[in-house]
Parts: sequence; structure tokens; C-alpha cells
Amino acid sequence: MAGPARYQNRIEILQGTLDLLILQTLARGGQHGHGISLAIRARSGEVLSVETGSLYPALHRLEKKGWLDSEWKVSDNNQRAKYYSLTKAGKKQLAAEQDRWRLLVEAVAGVLDPA
Amino acid sequence: MAMNSLRFVFRRFFRRTQLEKELNDELASHIAMEASLRMQEGESPEAARQAALRQFGNVELVAEVTRSKWGFTWLEQALNDVRYAARGFVRTPLFSAIVIATLALGIGSSTTIFSLLDGILLHSLPFTESKQLMILGELPPRTSKLNVVWMNNFVAWKERNRSFQSMAAFINLPINLVVDKTSEQVPGLGVTADFFSTLGTAPALGRTFRPGEYWTDEPHEAVLSYGAWQRLFDGAPDVIGKTISIVGKRQEIIGVMPPGFGLPDQTAELYLPLGIDLHDGRNYSVIARLRQGVSTDAANAEIGTLAAQTARENVEMNSGWSATAVPLLEHSVGPVRPALLVLFAAVGLVLLLACANVANLLLMRASGRSQEMSVRLALGASRNRILGQLLIESLLLAVCGGLLSVPLGWTALHLLKTSLPESLHIPRLNEVTLNMRVLLFSAGVSILSAVVFGLAPALQSLKRNVSEDLHESTRSVTSGRKVRRLLVMVEIALALVLVSGAGLTVRSFLRLASVNSGFHAENVLTARMLLLPVEKEEYRADRVKEMLDRIRAIPGVVAAGSIGILPMQDTNSGTWYYDANRPEPAPNARPEGDVSIITPGYFRAMRIPMIRGRDFGADDRVGVPAVAILNQTAARMLFPGEDPVGKRLKVWWTNTPTVEVVGVVADIRHGSLSTPPDPCLFMPNDQQPFPFTSLVVRTIGKPAGLVQAIREQIRMVDAEQGIAKIEEMQQMVSDSIARPRLEATVLTLFGMIALGLASIGLYGLIAFSVAQRAREIGIRVALGASRAGIFRMILGDGLRLTLIGGVAGLVAIAGLTRFIRSLLFEVQPLDPVTLVSVTCVLIVVSLLACYVPARRATKADPAAVLREE
Repeated sequence: MAGPARYQNRIEILQGTLDLLILQTLARGGQHGHGISLAIRARSGEVLSVETGSLYPALHRLEKKGWLDSEWKVSDNNQRAKYYSLTKAGKKQLAAEQDRWRLLVEAVAGVLDPA
Repeated sequence: MAMNSLRFVFRRFFRRTQLEKELNDELASHIAMEASLRMQEGESPEAARQAALRQFGNVELVAEVTRSKWGFTWLEQALNDVRYAARGFVRTPLFSAIVIATLALGIGSSTTIFSLLDGILLHSLPFTESKQLMILGELPPRTSKLNVVWMNNFVAWKERNRSFQSMAAFINLPINLVVDKTSEQVPGLGVTADFFSTLGTAPALGRTFRPGEYWTDEPHEAVLSYGAWQRLFDGAPDVIGKTISIVGKRQEIIGVMPPGFGLPDQTAELYLPLGIDLHDGRNYSVIARLRQGVSTDAANAEIGTLAAQTARENVEMNSGWSATAVPLLEHSVGPVRPALLVLFAAVGLVLLLACANVANLLLMRASGRSQEMSVRLALGASRNRILGQLLIESLLLAVCGGLLSVPLGWTALHLLKTSLPESLHIPRLNEVTLNMRVLLFSAGVSILSAVVFGLAPALQSLKRNVSEDLHESTRSVTSGRKVRRLLVMVEIALALVLVSGAGLTVRSFLRLASVNSGFHAENVLTARMLLLPVEKEEYRADRVKEMLDRIRAIPGVVAAGSIGILPMQDTNSGTWYYDANRPEPAPNARPEGDVSIITPGYFRAMRIPMIRGRDFGADDRVGVPAVAILNQTAARMLFPGEDPVGKRLKVWWTNTPTVEVVGVVADIRHGSLSTPPDPCLFMPNDQQPFPFTSLVVRTIGKPAGLVQAIREQIRMVDAEQGIAKIEEMQQMVSDSIARPRLEATVLTLFGMIALGLASIGLYGLIAFSVAQRAREIGIRVALGASRAGIFRMILGDGLRLTLIGGVAGLVAIAGLTRFIRSLLFEVQPLDPVTLVSVTCVLIVVSLLACYVPARRATKADPAAVLREE
């Protein structure tokens, strides 16, 4: 299942950051799975690509944890899709994940560039 | 979040197909959106769709991984296991049906017996603070059998005691009711003023007798039972103040008691005031309520002390007598406790047997599933998960069995309650129901049995070595074999214990039923009544004589007489009498015995032979010297080695007559078939008129057809004279041994269930082992073993199990003798005849159980068996 050539410069999403990316994407408003994957790809400048085999398990896992809600709606171009949105707990979790990510970035930067 | 998660679990579990559809829709919509995106970029619909699919990847795999994120909580796991187990059981319906039926039988019988135990022994009596209620009774010299109380002693106890807050005397009293010109006698209770306040039950209507009064002149008042209110007055609310006609007097109804009110062993319809008559003999029962904080032991001790005082104060009546206080519950249910406990123990063994059988079946099933288990273990299921799965399977079976056992138990209880004769006198049987407590017990038993029968298969499955099981073929699986053999031996031992219990009670019952009562009960009709009062006492005797003369004239009547208190009632009048030519014996050396007041014709009607002298005749009347007849036991007691005829006796009876012995009559068993004859003195009703009479009528054929004619003749003598009960003597004899018959029947039923279960267990084991050893047997036959030899080998295997189990059972019986002894009549608990025959039955049954598989083994075609490998 190797992807087509035009995606060759994408990189694998770091373990554990998918949750953050999903939560962050949904912070802008409800979205379906396809839309989430498009949004991540677009906002990362086509660098980050989410495999469906990771995306859907993650969505269902986050929903089970109570961070996401879901409902079926009709999309802009008239297609039925399952829309996910952040719950209150999801918003809290997003803040926590963001803090964690910043900590990680600073730490990694510190390692790469010991000033 | 926890709530959310739980809801999630339930939603997912119960709408699983719905959720899976939703997931598929979700993934499909993803692909559709990608495709339409691509079409907007100019790709052809077909190419766009292909590309979208390709990009998406393996849809099934994505779905699978996503589903796995739904995860399983323990609850979901358990529900899942239940589904899995249920599917497994549905696939093997015969196996499941046998297991569930076995369990339902075991749990159902336990539930039934427990409901009896609960309603009769454990449940408190329906009175406020019922544990404070005690029955007080006197103890005759040299015995420990509770006796009724002398009124003087009752008064002494009541006035002197410090242990009781209140105390009342009562006496059974047939009450002659005249309603709409027809008369009947219903059971009633004469009670002293404090009776109702002692029991502490308020009336449903009106008031009860006012406590604290001693009546010398009894008020003309009556309290109705709820049943009498309904029956006689159709439950009319304005009954208070109405009068009711009782033996010529009119009593004013002052109250109605609530439904269900009554002492545990009484069926009184009316309560009448009982005055204090200090001239009366020992005739009264006494009930008392303890003061707060006084123990039953302390009260008992005080009553003993008071009895010692009254014994000193009134040597004539009380010398040698003591007294005791027994809790009311103990007093009423004490006699049936041993039988109930034996039945409960027996049903426990039946349940254990059922569990052993089910464990055995599960073990066999498990050995067929060893591959399945090993695969699951190899695939990473933890041992705990497997154990959990097996536990769930056991619980599911037990719950099914338990649920089925409730209607089963209800039916059994219903049958038991409706089929028992009224005369059986099982106290409180009407209070027995399948209440919440019984259902809880049933549920507890179900779960407990699941643990018991599920344990062996579960442990067995954990001992399994995965790689070994996966490599070896199923043919040589022997795991669980030892456990199964052990279980079958235990089953046989339990069955032997139960069948022996059944055998002993049956043998004891047959002994009892074949006891020579001394009289001929067939074709005898009895009619009991309290005689209505008349102006002069001897007129009462004339009434009886007139009734008998009229009845004798009915065609088909062979002989007729009467007696004060009928045989087979477990009671009689008692007093003492002594040789009138000797000095009066000291109070503690009085020759005591029964007294029966009869008319001429009684012995003939009962076919009791005269040994010496003559029967009473028409000439033995008032005004001529008083006469008496002795039974053989009394003759031996009073005049050992002499001819009693012509001797004179002094009798402690009304007016203390001196009587001349005119005859000796053969002994009969008067109280019951199980009690040997007491000394008995017979006196003629004409000379010693008795307030009660029971007509005894011998007929040519079955007496039932003469009931109406006899009623009619009694009515002709006095239209107001009611009859308490008309009953065939044979029925009375049969009823008197109804309880041992019931015990023997129930134990036989349990014994048969046990034998059936054990033989099924043995059959299953042998059949299974024959199937598993088919190859070995094939080789033996191929090597020249004779079919008879194979047959003997299989049979011998079964027999060995039976014998070991049987010996274990016999050892257990030897240890259990004291529990069943109280139920047995003239049979020892280790009765060799019973034990030997029961063991023989067991051996025959187990040989039968082994016969079929053994035959099958001999029919095996060695070539076919070996080819199969």
C-alpha cells in the first residue's frame, strides 16, 4: 500500500502526537474523519499525512475516553458523514497535550542546540 | 466520564450490529468524499473511486483495528463470555438439557425443603415479640413429658411469679353451634381473661376479653376467629353486639380476630371465656409472656421453684410433680424438627450428587474441548481469562437450573400442602411459602453449586500443557480421568447413604403399619361430640344410650358402643387407682394409668376380646354397685399373678368411687400404634357419665354409606346436638401414621433421584471410557482377547467403582446413625437387612448402568477401530 509518488516527502507522525493533532484540528470546529486528515495534511504543508488505519482507531479511542462527541450530519457537498467535535473534557485534554508538546519541543531543541 | 464510558459499553454491546454498520458507513463515507474530491480535480468517476480505495488501504483491516479500540471492560467481557457460553450450550442441546434438568432437580428439591424449614422452624411466630411467649406445663413424677396443668397450680404460678408479665390458661373446647336450626360442633378455645393480652394481638373488630379479671361467673361473651366471622356472618361489619347460640346459651359477640390469628397448633373458630374452677383436675394449657430482659432459662428455673412450693403445699395433687416453661415456638415445632432436619440433610446430599454429576459431565465436555482451550491459551488468552470463561459457563448453567427450580419447587410445595391429610398436624404448614428468603436461599444455592461443580473442570483445564495438547491427537487424553472416577465413587457413596435412609424409614414405616393394634379398625365408623348439658347428669348417659339403641336398629349395623376418648388420638384421661383392700399408696408410689368411660357394645364394635369375666351390661346403672373392667396391663400391674375379677378398686375420679372388677379385656394400642399399651381402667358411662362421647359403630360393609343415617338418628334424639367429626376408624389409624409415611415417601423419592443420578454418572463414565479406549479394546480383540473377557473387564471396572463407593457410603452411614434414629420405629439405624438389601440394589443398578457400554465394547470391530487411527 505504498502511497503515490506525490506524497513521497511526507513524514510519519510521531507516536503520541496524533491525539494532539486531532484535538487541535477539532478545536476549530466539528469535522469528519476525511476532513481531519485533509486538514492535517494541508496545515502541515503536505508534510504530515495520517493513515486511515491510525486515524479511525484514534478517533474511536478518543471518543471512548470521552474527549470527543460524534454525530451524523450532511456535509457541504451533500454527503452524509460522521462529524466529531471536542467535549469539555476534550478541550482540557487538548490544553494538557499542548503543554506536553511544548515541553517536548523545548527539550528536543535543547538537545539539538546546546547553547 | 465513567458514566459516559459505561453508557458507551452498553450501547455498544446491545447495539453491536448497529455500531458495526455505523463504522462501515463512516469508512465508506471517507472513501466517497475522497473520490468526489478527486473527481473535482478532473479524474473520471471510476479512476477516482479506484484511487480513493487504493489510498484508503485495507478497509477490513482498518475496521478491525478500529473495532479493537472499542476495547472491553470486565463487564463487556463477562457479557461476551455469557454470549459465547450460551452459544456453546445451544450447540449441544442434549448436554445442556441434562445438566440444567439435573441442577433444577437438585436446587428445586432443596428450595422446597428449605421453604418448609424456613416457614416452620426459622420464621418467628406471628405475634408481637413472639420470642417472649412460653408454654408452661407440669411434669408428672418420673417422666419428662409435658402434661397439662391443674387450675390451682396455674393460679399459684400466676400470683407468685416474677418472670412473666402476663399468663393465661386455655382449653380445647368443641363448641356446639346452632345456626338456622342445624347444629354443628366446631373447634373452640376456652380462655382466661388475659389470653389475648398475653399474645398481644389486637382484634380486627371490637374488643377482646378485659385482662386482669378472674371469672367465677363467666360473662356471656364470645370472640370470633376471622374464618368464623366470614363463614357464619359473611364478614358483616355490624357483627359486634350480635348474639350467637351456643349450647342453649346466647353469647354476645364482642370482637373478631384478624386473619391468621391462632396458636400454631390450634384451629379455634371461637374463643369463649374460661372461669377459674378450682375443683377441676389437670386439664389446662398455660401460655405466658416473659418480662422484658428475663431469660427463658431464668423463667424455667422460677417455674421449677414454684412447682416445688406447690408440691409441698398440696401433697395430695402435686407430690412428685414438677413444672417447666418451654418457648412457644419450640413447643409447637419441636416434634417435627428432627424429621425436617433429616430431610434437609438428605436434600443437601441430593444437591451434592447433582453437582457431582454435572461436574462429571463438564469434565467430559472439557476433555473434548482441550484443543479449543489450548488454542485460546496459545493465542494469548490469559489463564485468568480462561478460568473466567469456565466460571461464566458454570454460572450460566446454575442460573438456568436455579430459574427452572423455582416453578419446580413451587409445584412440589403446592402438591405437598394440598395432598397432605388435615390430620397430619404439621404445625405452621400454612405459613410455608416461597418467600423472598427462600428465593434468596435458592439463588445462593445455585451460585454455590456453580462453584462446586465448576471447580474441578476449571482446575483441570488450567493444568493443561499447551504444546502437548496441540501436538497430541485427542485419542489419548486422560486428563480428568482420575477426578471423574473419584466423583463417580462419591456419587455412589452419597446414593448409598440416601437409599439406606429411604430403606430404613420405609422398613420402619412397614413395621409401624403392621403393628397389631389389638382392635379391628375396618368397617368401623366413629362420631365424636361434646354432649349437650341437661338438668341431671345421668340424663346425659341416657341420651347416649338412646342414640346407640337407634343406631343399632339401622340395617347394616353389627354392633355399636361409645367411648369417652377414641384411640389413635395420642391422648387419654389418666388418674390412679389401687386395690381397695390395701392402704392408700404414698403419693409418689401411686399406680397410675388411663381411664376410659365406655358403654356396653364398645368392645364388640372394636372386636376387642374379653379375656376373663364379663362385659358391661344394661344392669350396670346408677344405684347398683359400681363396676370396672381392666385391660391386661392394668391387671398385671394391680394384681400380679391373681385373678382380678371380683377384686375391688378405689379410683381417683369424680366422687372417688370404689368399683368391683367384673372382667379383663385384651390390651390395645390406644394412644398410637408406636406406643405400647398403658394400664387402662374401663368404667361404664351409666355410672360415671362423661361430657364427651364418641360413638363407635361396626357395619357389615363399608361404613361410608351409613353416615347420613347415623346423623339422622342423633338428630332425632336431640335436634340441637351437633357432631364434631364423623370419621372411619381405619382412616384414623392410617392418619396416625401419616407423618412417618410422608417421611418415608419423601426420603424414598430422594433415594430414587440419588440412585438415578449416580447410575447416570456411572453410565456416563463407563461409556466415555469405552469410547476412549476403543483403540485399546480393538488391539486386545485383535490380539485374541475374547469378547466375554472384554465384557468382564468393562463390567469389572464399573463394579470396582461401585464397591469402593459403596464401602465409603457404609462408613458414612455408620457415622450418621444418630441423626436418623429419632425417625425410626423398632428399626436400628444399622439394620443389617436394610443395609444388605440396599447395597445389593446399588450393585444391581450399577451393573445395569455398565451393561450397555460393556456390550458396545464387545461389539467393536477391531479392524474398523484400528483403521480409524
